[in-house]
Amino acid sequence: MKIKWYFFILTIMVLSIISFPFIGNKDQKPLKIGIIMIGDSRYEKLIGLKKGMKELGYDDWSTEFLVKSGRDQEATLASQIDDLLNEKPELIVALGGIETLKLKEIMEKKNIQIPVVFAGVAAPKEIGLIKDYRSPGGLFTGINNYHTSLSGKRLEIFRDLVPSISRFHILYDEDIEVSKLSLENVKAAAERLSLEIIPWNVSDSKNFLSEMKHEIQVNDAILVMPGFKMESLSKEIAQFSKENHVPAMGLYENETEDGILASYGTSYFDQGYQSARFVSSIIQGNSPADIPVEMPDNIRFIVNQKVKSELGIKLNKDIIHLAEFINPNAEGMSQ
Amino acid sequence: MKSIIYWLHSQPMRVKVLVFGIIMSTIPLLLISYYYYSNVKPDLEERIISKQELVLQNLTGEIELEFNQIFQQVQLFSFINDKEDKQPIFYDLLMKNTSIEEVVIINESGRIEEKVSRYDLNIPESNERWFSDEMWAVFQSDDRLYGEVEFNQFGQPVMKIALVYMENGSRNAVGATIQLQKIIGQISSLKQDDLSYLYLLDREGKVIAHQDYRKLWHQSPEADNKEMLGVREELVDLGWTIIMEQPKTTAYEPINEMFMKGLMVAVFVTLFVSLISIYAGLYFTAPIVLLDKEMRRLKAGHVASPIILNRNDELGQLAQSFNEMSQELQEKSFRLEQEKERLDVVVNGIGAGLALVTKNYEVTWTNPLLESWMNKEEIKLPCYTLIGGMNTPCENCPITCPEINDNADTILRMQRGRREERLFRHRVFPLTHAIKGEGEYLIVIEDVTEEKQMEEKMIQTDKLSALGLMASSFAHEVNNPLATIHVYAEDLIDRLEQFDDDLDEVEMALYLRKIKENTDRCKRITGNLLNFSRKSNWKVSQFDIKETIQNSISLVEYSLKKKDVLLDVSIQEEMPFMVGDSIKLMQVLVNLINNSIDAINQGGTVAISASLQNRNFVFKIKDNGCGIPDHEMQKIFDPFFTTKPVGKGTGLGLSVCYGIVEEFGGTIMVESRVGKGTMVIVSIPAETRFKEDKQ
Repeated sequence: MKIKWYFFILTIMVLSIISFPFIGNKDQKPLKIGIIMIGDSRYEKLIGLKKGMKELGYDDWSTEFLVKSGRDQEATLASQIDDLLNEKPELIVALGGIETLKLKEIMEKKNIQIPVVFAGVAAPKEIGLIKDYRSPGGLFTGINNYHTSLSGKRLEIFRDLVPSISRFHILYDEDIEVSKLSLENVKAAAERLSLEIIPWNVSDSKNFLSEMKHEIQVNDAILVMPGFKMESLSKEIAQFSKENHVPAMGLYENETEDGILASYGTSYFDQGYQSARFVSSIIQGNSPADIPVEMPDNIRFIVNQKVKSELGIKLNKDIIHLAEFINPNAEGMSQ
Repeated sequence: MKSIIYWLHSQPMRVKVLVFGIIMSTIPLLLISYYYYSNVKPDLEERIISKQELVLQNLTGEIELEFNQIFQQVQLFSFINDKEDKQPIFYDLLMKNTSIEEVVIINESGRIEEKVSRYDLNIPESNERWFSDEMWAVFQSDDRLYGEVEFNQFGQPVMKIALVYMENGSRNAVGATIQLQKIIGQISSLKQDDLSYLYLLDREGKVIAHQDYRKLWHQSPEADNKEMLGVREELVDLGWTIIMEQPKTTAYEPINEMFMKGLMVAVFVTLFVSLISIYAGLYFTAPIVLLDKEMRRLKAGHVASPIILNRNDELGQLAQSFNEMSQELQEKSFRLEQEKERLDVVVNGIGAGLALVTKNYEVTWTNPLLESWMNKEEIKLPCYTLIGGMNTPCENCPITCPEINDNADTILRMQRGRREERLFRHRVFPLTHAIKGEGEYLIVIEDVTEEKQMEEKMIQTDKLSALGLMASSFAHEVNNPLATIHVYAEDLIDRLEQFDDDLDEVEMALYLRKIKENTDRCKRITGNLLNFSRKSNWKVSQFDIKETIQNSISLVEYSLKKKDVLLDVSIQEEMPFMVGDSIKLMQVLVNLINNSIDAINQGGTVAISASLQNRNFVFKIKDNGCGIPDHEMQKIFDPFFTTKPVGKGTGLGLSVCYGIVEEFGGTIMVESRVGKGTMVIVSIPAETRFKEDKQ
């Protein structure tokens, strides 16, 4: 009789343990999203991503962001990627091209299969991240920030913005594939637009600005190509532009804020914001292989009014219909 | 179902309590769960549809707003008369609407005259045609044009729209290429908590946005077999359809989950109630099981232990009652054992054989004494064969004739083993509370051989006593005829010696006849005396009552004469013969007449009558003697009780009379009044019911 009792109580306990998960509140753990960035300059993308996620209906408790930054060092970036992979996030958002390429390299090396959303990579197909824009066919999908293809357009807009420019010094990085592709694009556009360009490989010399200074003439301008080194040197370029009265044009809003005359490209925030759609689609069960790579939702043309005043140049009044101005109250605002 | 009910009926009470508890706990829960399940379902459907409609209305509103804004802005351009400086306006258009990839002006031949692009150089290719064939066809007639969804060089979905305006009589158009990725991305990536999904179809039914990217750019997803809850909204101008669906299986998941939780709760409650039911079952049945166990012990003859329950409910009272009953039962059992022991002693030591007999004359039990009288094989025989030695049931047996209010009191004569033939008294008693088939009658068989022998001795003693008392009477009675014979013989001898001539043959014949008559008288007296005094067993024969009475009177004739008793004999005429032992009846009559003679004074009266009344022979011997005092009346049948002087009586007379009359199956009754006389009435059934000896 006692054995029967023990058996009965044991049965109840086992059934209770088995059925507890069914009747209790399901403990939904937040989704772990890994974030990898080369440096804090990409932080705007993370803010955009978070905002985008929120607007798509993801509360703070439903996602957990594991943020890893390379502190502007490629070596540090690799170790941060290792750390991130060890934490086994459900998916990773790479906030730039260099991060994405490094991540791809390490994941392939370690044979890790985690979906990756790149929040802004120039020419992802050309650099081998995806097979096709409509069907990426791998673990990677995201935003083609179009900075490579947009390089020619930037040359045209720069010319339209400052019609007095006769020569363009093109800053690019020979070590960065995207940068090289962008240069090619600029060269093609310059030919169609009949403009003179002078390429400057920033990886050749640490003092390329001082070297370039000797070559600067009146009505010269500087056009910055995509590349991590150029992005990190935006303040120096701005300073150079100011000191030599050479208008410069970059890609990002922050470059304009650093003192470069104008920028034409998608902003970090917008790229982060737009990448939230990819994250959501993957969370909902889609494979990155099936999600088409998108172009930027928004290309922003930003002009620093203060720099324009400092340079003492005149801007084309037609093109400024497309522009957004920072420091609009600066002295000498032409509009 | 029947087998379940049968199974349930066969289960112990604790299982029934458990089943009852489970049923009572689960069925209400299941019914409530089912009720909510069936009622919440339509409400949930309604809510889902409402939510889907709201989502679609918002999305369609946004899309339509976007396209309307684009058209409005493009339309503004068409209203401007001076189109010389178009670029600022184009840039303004691009600035205001980020979805526009490029803006073009198309001439009446469909070629791009001017172009402003967000991504490409503003230099159109030579003779670049902007319209697709379908748009070109529509361009000829309609003012507002919508292109198909197509892909640009980067695989991005785009759509061309155009607005026709007239300039200098020619049909021109302002066109814009719209990026759709934002719309598509918004639809595809919108978070759905409830497993519903959105998709967008173009005018040809091709999927241009779907939350499952695998279905993108395919024709409208074929409806699988799943039942759907969904709504659709048409974007009339664009010809698009936006659809939101949710499989019913997932839509009902919350209530299914709730139902499952209800089931789980039911399982838990069932388990919990099972525990309670088991406890309750044991709580209620444990005392019953204990009672049952102790009852079995009691039934098996063991001493039941007292059941101690610390509860005051019905079961506690039942246990208390059981303890009391058990104690009482044990006491009664003990008494019963005592009674049984006594009965065994009585049954075994009674000196009588006892047997239980069924209505079918089957002997079911015998006591050891009777067994010792019978052979084992004989006990299997019917009682009438075993005891009566007959082949058919006895007629006067209560078993054969239950209406006979008699116990078949008979004397049997049986030969047992090598022993001598012995007399047994046989009686049958019906048992009122007998168990059917176990013996409804008790047969009592007593060995009365010695008793009968004693009775016979008493009768003979009484007879000899009477004879002794009557000896002088007999002497006188014999003496008178002998004197007469003597006189006649002496006279005849004298006359023969004297050769009396008068003594002729006639005279001699007279003398001889007198001698013969007196000799006959003597012979009769002595014969009667011999007959009376003969020791004999009960002999049954038919006899004449009148003769028996006269023979009896003749035996006491001298005593009657001696007291000058006036004897009045009255015998009914044509009395039938009586069946029985006439000597025994004579002994009764002689005793009674002698008692009357002894009771009366000189010259008293004794009246003897015999009649047949109500099928009974009634003999009355009445005297006018001294009578019997009341205090002696109850002793008169006791053996050796007498009021007569010593030497006049043995005190056995009436006792013997009683025994003989009882043998006849009759009764003897005495009525007496002191100083007036006594009357003894003997009544014997005419249809013989005497206790006959049987072989």
